[in-house]
Amino acid sequence: MADTPIPLEVRNITKRFGDAEVLKGLSLKAHKGDVITLIGASGSGKSTFLRCMNLLEQPDEGDVIVHGEEIRFKQTKHGREPADWKQVVRMRAKLSMVFQSFNLWAHMTLLENVIEAPIHVLGKPRKEAIGHARQLLERVGLGEHADYYPAQMSGGQQQRGAIARALAMDPEVMLFDEPTSALDPELVGDVLKVMRDLAEEGRTMIVVTHEMSFARDVSSQVIYLHQGRVEEAGPPDEVLGNPSSERLKQFLAPKH
Amino acid sequence: MIDLHGYGPRLAEGALITIELAVLSLILAIVLGLLTASAKMSRNWLAHRIGTVYTTVIRGVPDLVLMMLMFFGGQIGINMVTDQLYERFGWDIFINVNEFVAGVVTIGLIFGAYMGETFRGAFLAVDSGQIEAGRAYGMNHWLVFRRIRFPQMMRHAIPGLSNNWMVLLKTTALVSVIGLTDMVRVAAEASKATREPFTFMIIVAAVYLLIATVSEWGFARLQKRYDVGYREAD
Amino acid sequence: MEALMNWLETQLADNSIFTLQTLGFYGEGLVTTVQLVFLSLIIGLVMAVPLAIGRGSKHRWISLPIFLYCYVFRGTPLLVQLYLIYYGVVFVEGIQETWLWVILEKPFVPALIAFTLNTAAYTTEIFRGAIKSTARGEIEAARAYGMSRGLMLRRIVLPSAFRRALPAYGNEVIFMLHASAIASVVTIMDLTGAARFVYARYYAPFEAFLFVAAIYLCLTFAILYLFRYLERRLLAHLKPASG
Repeated sequence: MADTPIPLEVRNITKRFGDAEVLKGLSLKAHKGDVITLIGASGSGKSTFLRCMNLLEQPDEGDVIVHGEEIRFKQTKHGREPADWKQVVRMRAKLSMVFQSFNLWAHMTLLENVIEAPIHVLGKPRKEAIGHARQLLERVGLGEHADYYPAQMSGGQQQRGAIARALAMDPEVMLFDEPTSALDPELVGDVLKVMRDLAEEGRTMIVVTHEMSFARDVSSQVIYLHQGRVEEAGPPDEVLGNPSSERLKQFLAPKH
Repeated sequence: MIDLHGYGPRLAEGALITIELAVLSLILAIVLGLLTASAKMSRNWLAHRIGTVYTTVIRGVPDLVLMMLMFFGGQIGINMVTDQLYERFGWDIFINVNEFVAGVVTIGLIFGAYMGETFRGAFLAVDSGQIEAGRAYGMNHWLVFRRIRFPQMMRHAIPGLSNNWMVLLKTTALVSVIGLTDMVRVAAEASKATREPFTFMIIVAAVYLLIATVSEWGFARLQKRYDVGYREAD
Repeated sequence: MEALMNWLETQLADNSIFTLQTLGFYGEGLVTTVQLVFLSLIIGLVMAVPLAIGRGSKHRWISLPIFLYCYVFRGTPLLVQLYLIYYGVVFVEGIQETWLWVILEKPFVPALIAFTLNTAAYTTEIFRGAIKSTARGEIEAARAYGMSRGLMLRRIVLPSAFRRALPAYGNEVIFMLHASAIASVVTIMDLTGAARFVYARYYAPFEAFLFVAAIYLCLTFAILYLFRYLERRLLAHLKPASG
C-alpha cells in the first residue's frame, strides 16, 4: 500500500463567495477503497467542498492532490486559478462525478452518454467502449434502456444511468453530490442499492448525502460539516452512534 | 463635412415619409391585429376561419408581392367597383390609389396578421382566474376587457409588438420599389446620379439604426410600465 | 413529355396570359429564387457557427465587432444592404476593366453577397441564443468528465444548441425566401421578377401576382413541413416518453 499513491487528498481547502467564507480550511484523505460520507445541514458547505475536489469550484486556498500529482495554481486578477488547465482536464478524468440533477446530456441516448467521455476524453476505441458500456448498463439494471433518451426515463433510471456513465471512466475516485436528493422517495432505493454494491466491490467513493442509513451502513468514514468546518469525523459507529457535539445530536435527532 | 450634392433636404423629407408611413401602418396593424386575435379566439366558426386564412396567407407570401398586388391591382380593383356603381346607381366616383395610402394599407394588412398572432398568444397567457375575478365583481364583458384583460395582455404582448415594429420599420423600405419617395428611394436616386452609393446608403442605414435604437429604448420603458406588480416575482 | 406538353397547350389555349412562354418565365424564376435562397442560406449558416461562438467570447475585441455586425445587418432593411452592395460594386472606379467584372456584372453575385451577409447576421443571433440556453448541468458534467473547452463545444454544446435552434432557424429560412423577392429590384429574374415581367407585358396584376403568391405559399408550406419533420426527428429526445 505504501508504494501506491493515495487516490485523492485535499489539504486546507478554503473557499469564499464574496465576503462569506463557506469553507474554512478543510482536509480529507481518501485511501483506496474508502467510502467517505459528508453530512451536514444545507449551507454547511458539503457540496461546495466536493466541487472543490474536481475544481468545478476554485478553492481560494489549499491543495488538491490526485494520485500523487498536485494541482498547480496561479494567482490572476480574477482570483486563484489552476496554472495548467490541461492538468485539470487530465485529473478530472480520474475523478468522475455523479450529480444531484443527473446532468445526462439530453441530446444523446443513454448509451451515447456512457461512451462519450471514454471515447473522446480517454481515447478508447469505440467498439471497446460500447461493450464496456453495455456491461455497465446491465449492472445498474438498465440493459434494456440503452437507446432511450434521458427525458424518456424516470429520475431513478437517469441517476443509475449517470452512475454507469461515471463508472465507464474507470475512475480512481467517484464523487457523489447528493445523488438521491432530487428523486421521488420510491426511487431512492434502487440508486442506493447500486451505490452499496459499488462500495462492496472496493470503489473509492466520496458521497455527499442526507441518507443516514447509507452513511451508517456503508461508509468507512463520516465527516460532519458545520458552517464550513469539520465538527466531527471518524468511523460511522463513533460519529453517528455516539455523537459528542450538541449540534450533531440535534442534526441526527428524528425530525417531527 | 459630407457632401450630399444638394440631396440633404430631400433625404430629410424621405425620412419623414418613412416615419409617417411606419407609424400609420403600425396603428392600422395593431387595430387589425386585435380584431384578428379576437376572431381567432372566438367561438364563431366563420370568424375563426377567416382569421386563420388571413394570417396563414399573409405570412406565407413575400411582402413585396403583396405590396405589388395591392398597388398595381388596387387601382384596377377599385375602378371595377366604381364602374359597377356608376352603371347600376349612376354614382360617379373616382378614387385614385395614392402610393402613400396603398403603402399604409399594405403594410398594415401584412403586419395585422403578425400582430394577430402576437396578441392571441398574449391573451391566452393571461390567467383565466383574473378574468373570473373581474366577472365575479360584476364587471361586464367590455369592462373586463378594458380594465383587466388588455392591461395584463400587454405585458405579454410587448416583446412581440416590439419585434414586429422593428420588422415593420424595415419593411417600409419596400415602398420605394412601388414609387413612393421614402428615404431609400431618394438615396437610390442620389446614388445613381452621383455615383456615390456609400455616402447615401450609409446615411439611410444610420437613420434606420437610430430609429430602431430609440424605439428599443421606448419599448423597454413601456415594458417596465406594464410589468408593475411582476417585477419582484420575476 | 411530348404528350404532357400537348396536354398543357390545350389547357392553356383559352387564356392569353398563362402561355407556355410565361410559365417558362415563372419556371426559370423559381430556379433562380431557389438557387439564390439556398446558396445564401448555406454560406450564411457556415459563417454563423464561428460567429455565434465568437459572439459569446470573453474577449471584447472578438465579441464586439461581431455584435456590431449583427446589430447593423439586423437593424437595417435588406433592400438598403442590397443597394449598397449592388451600386457599391458597380460604381467602383475601373472595376469594369478587371477580371472580377465577369462575375460581378450580373446582379446575381451582389445579391447573393447581400443576402448571405444578412442571413448570417440573423442566424448568428439564433445560434447564440441557443448556445446560451444550454443547460448548466450538462456543461458541468462535461467539465467534470475531463472535457476540454473545444471538445465540450464540439460534442455537447453545439449539437444540442443546433437542435434547439431548429424552430427559429425554420422561420429564418422562410424569412429569406420572402426577402429574396427584392432581388427583382436589381433586375434579377427571380419568381417576383417573372411576375413583374408578366404584369408589365399583359397589364394583368391579379393574374401575375396571385399566381406567384400561390407559388410562394406552396414553397413556404414545403419549408414548414420540412422543418416540422426535422423537429420531430431531432427534437424527439426532449419529449418525455408517453406512458
